[in-house]
Amino acid sequence: MATLASRLKFQGLSERLTTTKQRRDNFYGYLFLIPWLLGFFGLFIGPGLGSLYFSFTKYDVLSAPEWIGLDNYIKMFTDDPLFYTSLGRTFYYAGLGVPLGVIGSMFLAILLNAKLKGLAMYRTLFFMPSLVPIVASVVLWKWLLHADFGIINQWLIDLGWSDPPGWFGDRRWAIPSLIMMGLWQGLGGTRMIIFLAGLQGIPESLYEAASIDGATALHKLRHVTIPLLTPTIFFNMVLGIIGGLQVFTAAFVATEGGPGFATTFYSLHLYRHAFDYWNMGYASSLAWFFAFVIVSMTIWQLRLSRRWVFYYGS
Amino acid sequence: MAATIERIPSTDISGDVYRRGRTQIQKAVTYILLTAAGLMFAFPLFWTVSSSLQTWQELRSYEPHLFPSIPQWANYAQVFQSVPFARWMANSFLITAITIPGVIITGSLTAYSFARFNYIGKEFWFVLMLGTMMIPTQVILIPQYVLFFNLKLINTYVPLTIGSWLGGGAFMIFLLRQFIMSIPRDLDEAALMDGASPIRILWGVLLPLMKPALTTVAILQFLGDWNEFFGPFIYLSKVELFTAAVGLRFFQNIPLESRDPRDHLLMAAAAIMTIPVITLFAAAQRYFIQGVVLSGLKI
Repeated sequence: MATLASRLKFQGLSERLTTTKQRRDNFYGYLFLIPWLLGFFGLFIGPGLGSLYFSFTKYDVLSAPEWIGLDNYIKMFTDDPLFYTSLGRTFYYAGLGVPLGVIGSMFLAILLNAKLKGLAMYRTLFFMPSLVPIVASVVLWKWLLHADFGIINQWLIDLGWSDPPGWFGDRRWAIPSLIMMGLWQGLGGTRMIIFLAGLQGIPESLYEAASIDGATALHKLRHVTIPLLTPTIFFNMVLGIIGGLQVFTAAFVATEGGPGFATTFYSLHLYRHAFDYWNMGYASSLAWFFAFVIVSMTIWQLRLSRRWVFYYGS
Repeated sequence: MAATIERIPSTDISGDVYRRGRTQIQKAVTYILLTAAGLMFAFPLFWTVSSSLQTWQELRSYEPHLFPSIPQWANYAQVFQSVPFARWMANSFLITAITIPGVIITGSLTAYSFARFNYIGKEFWFVLMLGTMMIPTQVILIPQYVLFFNLKLINTYVPLTIGSWLGGGAFMIFLLRQFIMSIPRDLDEAALMDGASPIRILWGVLLPLMKPALTTVAILQFLGDWNEFFGPFIYLSKVELFTAAVGLRFFQNIPLESRDPRDHLLMAAAAIMTIPVITLFAAAQRYFIQGVVLSGLKI
């Protein structure tokens, strides 16, 4: 009986302890969360709701927003040819650039994962371009790809291509030029490091088992390495698409959306409406549609991933 | 896709000689591919430096000179004479000097809250925080601009730095949280027994152990601010307030007194702007890679 009493007493005590602990956790948890909560509501939720409201208005910052219902959205789909072309170009850029970038980074990482001497030096070398600030990189690539005096065209002429592309100045080549620049910057950067981490997580025993079965290097690549890297490929594809669709700085600094409208990506189109024409209402509706596109793409990729992503050990 | 390792009939008993020959060839192919890739990555960097040391006549002579005939170091001085590039670099440094302490202090507090306290609604806030990473910045850009415009904060660094003092962004918080979670709780609890307050525990126990994570976060913040173009571009219109990134674009486009081509000067400016990043990388290489390790990406 005495033990029961003491147990009851103890239970009461520990309950009291958990409630004081709970109270303490609630207090300090929220106390330390205050700066982030302020930012979350002040710089994220508030502005997000603000732009949702603006998207139903005509607004030029200087005069008060004027409610116009769905007009902006209707205009977007029926009366803005650049809406479709800029969206199409954005998908062209991300659809070509991101898979090339992800696959390229994967192959560089696979090469670097070989047990050979001197690889740290190569890794550093591959990583260097990702350190160059993007504006500096644009300035550099505009010079490398200069139509008349760029060293790449001079080489191409020496190799016998008498009429090499005009690159950034050529409607057909402007987006490929941006992709090339992006690959130079992105292939050996953080994405490659993420692949290296993924490769180091593949158990050595799988390769040993494959060797015993007489698998060649290519067999191992195809049946061990790549299947086990699919989660990493997937992760990089999701992040890459989210980033790639938002491409702005490279195109803005290199070509300002030109020549013609050849590199007027969606975010440049939005920027023009917001900060050149002060159509803040219309730009907000463009932004909300864009958020919808990006979130849908991400969800679609998540769904699709069930068919091709393989999780080892699960 | 199934990751079955196909069973290959092990009839291959051709022995060590064959196998060793094969690995030699594999090694050679790997080195050749690595070197080819290395040259492609390195050449544009080399060409920046080489072009920055040539005269424009040399650069535009229809016969590329891989190396300058006489290195024109004066090109670098001319950049600083043509535009206030030193001022722009100093402005960029100033911004990072404001943001780095911000993300270290408020990012750590937020991460500490998420890692160490079990309060009502924690999971809810945490998921929302991660969700912010998926939303394109365009959605919040315009009202943010309107807000700062109405508060008369255009042409100040407030719009560019305030976020770092309010948590510093989801990715940084996530990195710090992962790191705190890897520190044994016993340490906190021992300090708690000794009567330390939670803020004392963060300051005295956790922060000293978090140095690698904090260094990584500081470096990522520096790189982000140094690289950032769009924010400074829309919030700053006074030339003397420009950052290096905005200034370099400005230098690319403005008319100068001399109407000569300025490719050599632009290359020098691009090199100048890259030097701080490369220096930082040389000094703290491992922390550049740490971000990946810290985020615990077991993929």
